[in-house]
Amino acid sequence: MQQLDNQEILMKLKASKQFWDIKKKIKQGFNEQLKIGVNDIQKFAQSCEIEDQLIKLISHILKKSKKRETLKEDQIEFLNTSKIKWTELLFKNLDIVHQKTKNQEEDDTNTDSKLYIYDEKNLLAFLQTFKQQQSNSLYQNVQFQSNKLLNINIPLKSSQSILDKYQYLLLQEELQDDKINKIRKQIENEHLDIELEKIAQNFVPNGERCLLYLKYFEFDHQETVIQQNFAKLQKECSNQLFYDELLEIDGHEISEDTFYFVFQEQILTCLKCFIRDKTIKENIRIQLQSGLKKENTEFQLPVAGFFPFKNISKYVAPICYLSTKIHIIYALFKEFFCRYFCFLHSISSENNSILALCMQIEEIVSTRSPKLFHHLKVIGSDTLKLIMHQLVYCFIGDMDPPHILTIYDQIIGHDSLEILIILCVGFLNKYKPKLLLAKNYENVQQIFSELREDKFQELVQFAYKQ
Amino acid sequence: MSEYFRKYIKKEHYSNHYSNLKFKTSFRNCILEALKRRQWKEVEGDDWDIMWAEKEWIHEVMDHTHLQPNQKINHFRNHYELTRKDLMIKNLKRFKRNLERENKMEEANNYNFFPQTFHLPSEYPIFCEEFKRQSQNGESKTPWIMKPIGKSQGKGIFIFNKIQSISQWKNTLRFNQEAQQAESYIVQKYIADPLLIGGKKFDMRIYLLCTSYQPLTLYLYRTGFARFTHHRYDNEDISNTYVHLTNVAIQKTSDNYDEKLGGKWNLQTLKLFLMTKFGQEKVAETFYNIQMLMIRSLQAVQKIIINDKHCFELYGFDILLDASLKPWLLEVNASPSMTSNTPIDFELKCGLLDDVFTIIDLEKVLTGNEEQIGGFDLVCKGNPIKLPLNSTFTTYLGSFNNRQQQLKKIAKSTALRLAQTYQEIQTKSVGDGSKNQKEKEEKEKQQQRSTSKGPQSMQNGINNKIGMQPKQNSIIKRNGTNLPALGTLQYKTNVKRQPLQNAVQVQPAQIQQINSNKKINEEQTLTPNQKLQQLTIDNKLSTFQPYKQQSQYNDVMGMSNRNLQRNEE
Repeated sequence: MQQLDNQEILMKLKASKQFWDIKKKIKQGFNEQLKIGVNDIQKFAQSCEIEDQLIKLISHILKKSKKRETLKEDQIEFLNTSKIKWTELLFKNLDIVHQKTKNQEEDDTNTDSKLYIYDEKNLLAFLQTFKQQQSNSLYQNVQFQSNKLLNINIPLKSSQSILDKYQYLLLQEELQDDKINKIRKQIENEHLDIELEKIAQNFVPNGERCLLYLKYFEFDHQETVIQQNFAKLQKECSNQLFYDELLEIDGHEISEDTFYFVFQEQILTCLKCFIRDKTIKENIRIQLQSGLKKENTEFQLPVAGFFPFKNISKYVAPICYLSTKIHIIYALFKEFFCRYFCFLHSISSENNSILALCMQIEEIVSTRSPKLFHHLKVIGSDTLKLIMHQLVYCFIGDMDPPHILTIYDQIIGHDSLEILIILCVGFLNKYKPKLLLAKNYENVQQIFSELREDKFQELVQFAYKQ
Repeated sequence: MSEYFRKYIKKEHYSNHYSNLKFKTSFRNCILEALKRRQWKEVEGDDWDIMWAEKEWIHEVMDHTHLQPNQKINHFRNHYELTRKDLMIKNLKRFKRNLERENKMEEANNYNFFPQTFHLPSEYPIFCEEFKRQSQNGESKTPWIMKPIGKSQGKGIFIFNKIQSISQWKNTLRFNQEAQQAESYIVQKYIADPLLIGGKKFDMRIYLLCTSYQPLTLYLYRTGFARFTHHRYDNEDISNTYVHLTNVAIQKTSDNYDEKLGGKWNLQTLKLFLMTKFGQEKVAETFYNIQMLMIRSLQAVQKIIINDKHCFELYGFDILLDASLKPWLLEVNASPSMTSNTPIDFELKCGLLDDVFTIIDLEKVLTGNEEQIGGFDLVCKGNPIKLPLNSTFTTYLGSFNNRQQQLKKIAKSTALRLAQTYQEIQTKSVGDGSKNQKEKEEKEKQQQRSTSKGPQSMQNGINNKIGMQPKQNSIIKRNGTNLPALGTLQYKTNVKRQPLQNAVQVQPAQIQQINSNKKINEEQTLTPNQKLQQLTIDNKLSTFQPYKQQSQYNDVMGMSNRNLQRNEE
């Protein structure tokens, strides 16, 4: 934690609208008294019942003044070594991909559009290797053979607490116009994180989301700065990188999606800027790959500090429904990735990490739907294998954009990716009857290749269905 | 789909059975497919009930042709008053002026949905003055767009912001006397702040069906398209037409034209985007404004267009939204493209046309008071129709197109109504006790008809309204004569109709009699060759349905196109 700079705190205080409101009230209250002490303010605040507001404001400013540092080391040692291994593996993959593209250039007829450094299946396969490693070192696991794909000793929240936390979503109803207007005004006037989170947890009216997100990420008065930064990055894009080619190939899938094909060009531009953005390294909450410089390799990690992976475009796509300005889209995407989505690609024991999320899902499904869990295991299509795509890509491509943005609301509202656990469990429950009839992996594949339309509220309801 | 009507309505309950109807068209795209799907027969000569003609035919032939009372045609005589760029603007301007004169200022102010426009060369001096005035006021940055009159698909369009470019154009015209007559243009103030999605410009194609100008009867189709340009919009670069023009015909020549999705969004996806970005209220207002814009533009020409009960017209409105979501009318097409570039597009257009034919109601089964038919909603009948105050919608434009469910519902209720009417007629005829005499008369009529082939002669015996008893009987018999391969067909229809048979109690003796009549007539009138011909037509119909599967999914599930694309892969 960095030491707090008083000047900085004061500046932040002054930037806040509430500060001026409270100051005005205090000034009126003291009637031009010359010297005011801290005790006076406290007494006055108590008498006008603005004490809570004052405390919230000060704690908010303090929180904002603290710089959240990037998590580099994990408390579990073997995860640190695993991360290094993972990075090495990705470097190898990169070499293969590079070789393939070279071959393609020579032979135009053989165009393999599926070129990527890694995808969610590779990630899961890598996570699976932990089980064996750990069971060798910790002998109690050898005696207790688990059915789960991942069974590692990391600190986890209780599944019940997560289920309880999101249970309120079951009671959500569509709001009347007057209430929507009230929320709209609230978003316009509110600056405190906690209050914005509360709104995001409950209901964000369409059309107001962009403002809420911008305020939450403190971009609301910085549009020109955002625009300038983006313009700089765009200039840098004139230097071609090998990664650009991969990003272009990655965009093909999005270009076949009715909802997103219009944005293909904007998405590509955002991603090209993203891998060139130096500020990501400082802002990202968790280091994804340890930037070991490997000898004899042609390539380095991109400036952003991690490799672009398959379907990275998907994370940008729904944000295109929030603004028509590309620099706003970029700023929002960057913030979403650095705060939340990075955890979906992290080898870590953090609560938000893909490892923890996967284990929570397995835990809930195995205890609440043991029959399904066992059946899937028997037919060789483990629960996690089924759900990994939806989990890693936040259901983007499975639900319509407004539903995806509702997921984003929940992520902001709880500053956590736990909502994905609920949705994945709901997803499995929804298709449970069909899945129980499946006899092999192909049958399961067939179920998901059929036409389907999943909705946020529907999956939440299925998650709590016994 | 019309197949619900075929499924639920008994053959003898039709005033005018679909198998008797004949169509003529020179089009070979979705129009032909949609006509065939209704199981109407294609003819070459003048013996048709409906003709889907090209505009040129109307101008060249229609004035010299006498149409029979039952014949329907897809254009009004002087539709160009609305669909030619210069005349449309002239009429809109005139209507606005008249409203102002009548002191209806509020309504006149609503006619602000077309950009400032001049006709060239006739209004060249006025345009030059206006151009100078605007440049003096510093408004010169907004470019102007030149559109040749009478050309479509974006041909000959160019954009300029210096008066020199247009004087050059004018000089070339002066040298070429022939061209001067042929090429008149309109010059329009360019809408420089269009709404961009994904950095791309787009316009909307929305379909409006007019079945009558007196009273003005309009049906608005729920689904339309947003057509995107394929290059990022750049206000500075006015020479690149790809950036500015959204016509599919132009976009096709661009390199990265996306064949799979056709560079189009359907209106529902566009609405979803706009709602997510701008919020529900604002988008509802915009779509309501679009609907009113369309009604108003037809009201402006209502008194000018020659109303004709033979005519109906399907208009394709091109509408642009600017950054503040204000709709602008670009033009009205009398022959909106019915060529499809993707399977989904194909099904959409066939569905649209099918609903048009249902509304035209050549089979004469509807009451004419239906508020929704398929994907079409009645938006104007004399006056614009307002939805009830407690309704969640202000317009159905761009909302979920529930045409399948709606057609099923309407077909069921129509079948019941027709069955009841039929029953009433039957009981009446029994009560009269003059059955035998009437049968004799009918036989005589039958003989007369078999000699004449024209639909007009058949139509003479048919009244538009069901309820005229002797004519009803005549129809039943006539159906019998024209039905091919009755054995199989009737078996199928009987099976399908089972649920309805309980609801309708037709006297068994009468049915027997009718059936026996049919069989006799059929054998008498159909030669083996004719039978064979009919059979092959039927076979063609069942096989020529290239995208049937997708459409069924789409219609039943109301699924998004995205999923359909996947399924197709």
